[in-house]
Amino acid sequence: MKLPHQRLTRRLALGGLAATTLAAPARAQARPLKIGMITSLSGPFAALGESMRGGMRLLLTQSGERFADRPVELIVEDDQARPDDGVRKARKLIGQDRVDLLCGVIHSGVALALRDVVTEARMPTFLLGSANDLARRAASPFILRPTKTNWMLGSTAAQRTHQTHPGARVVTAASDYAAGREFVGDFATTYQGLGGRIGRQFWTPLGTPDFGPLLTAIAAERPDSVYVFFAGSDAVRFLRQWKEYRLAGRIRLMATGACFDQEDVLPAVGDAALGGINTFHQSPTAPSSAAFVEAWGATGKGLPGEFSTTGYVCGQVIRTATERSGGNPTDWPRTQQALFDAPVETAFGRMPFDPRNGQAILDIHVNEVRAVDGAMVNTVVYTFPQIRDPGPDA
Amino acid sequence: MIRVIAAAAVVALFADDYLLRFLAEILLFGVAVMSLDILIGFGGLMSLGHAALFGGAAYAAAIVARQWGGDLVLMLGTGMATGLVLAAVMGVVVLRSGQLFLLIMTLLLAQMLWEVAFHWRDVTGGADGLRGLPALSLGPWALSGARALFLVAVPLAVVAFLVARSFIAAPIGRALVGTREEPIRMTALGYSLFAVRFRAMMVAGAMAGAAGALLPFVNQYVGPQSVHWTLSATLVIMLVIGGIGSLWGGFIGSAVYLGIQTYLSAYTDRWQLLVGLVFVLTVLLLPNGVAGGVRRWRS
Repeated sequence: MKLPHQRLTRRLALGGLAATTLAAPARAQARPLKIGMITSLSGPFAALGESMRGGMRLLLTQSGERFADRPVELIVEDDQARPDDGVRKARKLIGQDRVDLLCGVIHSGVALALRDVVTEARMPTFLLGSANDLARRAASPFILRPTKTNWMLGSTAAQRTHQTHPGARVVTAASDYAAGREFVGDFATTYQGLGGRIGRQFWTPLGTPDFGPLLTAIAAERPDSVYVFFAGSDAVRFLRQWKEYRLAGRIRLMATGACFDQEDVLPAVGDAALGGINTFHQSPTAPSSAAFVEAWGATGKGLPGEFSTTGYVCGQVIRTATERSGGNPTDWPRTQQALFDAPVETAFGRMPFDPRNGQAILDIHVNEVRAVDGAMVNTVVYTFPQIRDPGPDA
Repeated sequence: MIRVIAAAAVVALFADDYLLRFLAEILLFGVAVMSLDILIGFGGLMSLGHAALFGGAAYAAAIVARQWGGDLVLMLGTGMATGLVLAAVMGVVVLRSGQLFLLIMTLLLAQMLWEVAFHWRDVTGGADGLRGLPALSLGPWALSGARALFLVAVPLAVVAFLVARSFIAAPIGRALVGTREEPIRMTALGYSLFAVRFRAMMVAGAMAGAAGALLPFVNQYVGPQSVHWTLSATLVIMLVIGGIGSLWGGFIGSAVYLGIQTYLSAYTDRWQLLVGLVFVLTVLLLPNGVAGGVRRWRS
């Protein structure tokens, strides 16, 4: 009878000790600003996540690892582009590492999954996924969004088509997942609203190995223009085959910026992308990003694409938030108000925040892929100034 | 048993919210792994579709909760019913085959469920999954905090463990081991292989379903990843690390896997390599998993 009791108390003591040490918050003398970043460092978006982290790191280096004289500590966690893992990582950053701010996320599903977690934890978050819902039904008082929504790109692509080729009959083709549905849906609604004609709509699964059947079907439709959304390796395969099937130059190709991403896609496809038109909030030739493009190039990485710029811009916004709140951005109502009161100068251009949903209002560029010294470069040909997501009105 | 309860009480008193929620998740995954162990470890039925039972119940619970609120009894009932139905369907289809065919058939069936979850946007939220769930509740009490979730997960794990243990110890459990070891002799003795295996499948389904039903409340989210075959594979890896054929090994396995994933990934992007190494080392050095190693070390 005695032995079990002894063991019980020992276990109790050990368990209690372990629990209290784990629970004890990290105490430091001069408390640095802890920023947690969740991004995809493995899985399908690994390259994009690497770029996002690189952009943020560049900004930190430029700022001497200090925002408003407060040392900054960045903790990066991998979500593998999987919502469940993203949620677990967010909890770890909030509960264990006790970060002051959260930022990051590429995959919209992860962003939507984090929405309730950060809202319940009242954790100030700079969320970079781009699903429309994040600026609408899933908007949260604790989330600011220094990036685009899918609607901003889809609807401006429709406006541009209407401007340059009024009355053109457009067919669409896109990867069949949430982002593709939103881009194409917003394009079609806006274009039809302007009186345009939408032809057939094609959907292909994410990771399609061969676009041959799709391209023959598009060719058979004989449209004036095609609007597409593919990203990453899908975009590379699609554009290569677009050239091989000799559709390049015959049918006008319009896409979301991700399909011609400067870092991720263009170096891999070469002149197959030549002449492609896309709407994007990022462009290496946009005047606002000149300084960033130079700094990024100095690290030996070539021209920056969407996610390196996004990571950098997110850092710029957090830096401004820290400065405007006197070094204490965790005083959230005050920080938020400071960002609503005046726009932030970023590599995406002048960025005001919409007080209704915390969504950034952005310049959307129309890029044309042109050959500059033998390299393919997204060149700004037109800019839609200060596009604002309809937000709760949608 | 008293020791387990005492340890749980101490943890519940002293651990912080993050740790409690993490432990609750480990327990839920542990129950799922344990139910898989009944199939793989005791029945020799290698399934790569277990996430369909676990995640399918999670979806069902989330959908029901959004409609009628998150009552604990309702949730467990929904989860177990879903697990039972899915296990029955899977059992009827796959249990006539064995070995490699069984593996492939379970994989296929589970992926069909994934397709449904991924494409039926109106009900499952498609790729975005479901969020905005109400808090779990029991009668008038809301069980929303991390501590409450932990205190729900512990008895669930304990009850599931006791059920699994008595199932294995009962004649039906012995018969299940018999069908694994000597299927021909068992048939000759008058046992129906199908009936024995089907019952094991049902028990595993109900157990995985009960655990799965609570998962959306721990994560405040459920998405198509939770019915994807990669989660089934993860459950198998957890089982191998923890120890095939040891019921409590499932909890060890899920703790090791989730621990590596959550804690070591802050230091290296190559945490999956580490999981792989642990897996290989387990297979080489501890063929019966951590649980088997502990047992050998004790004796």
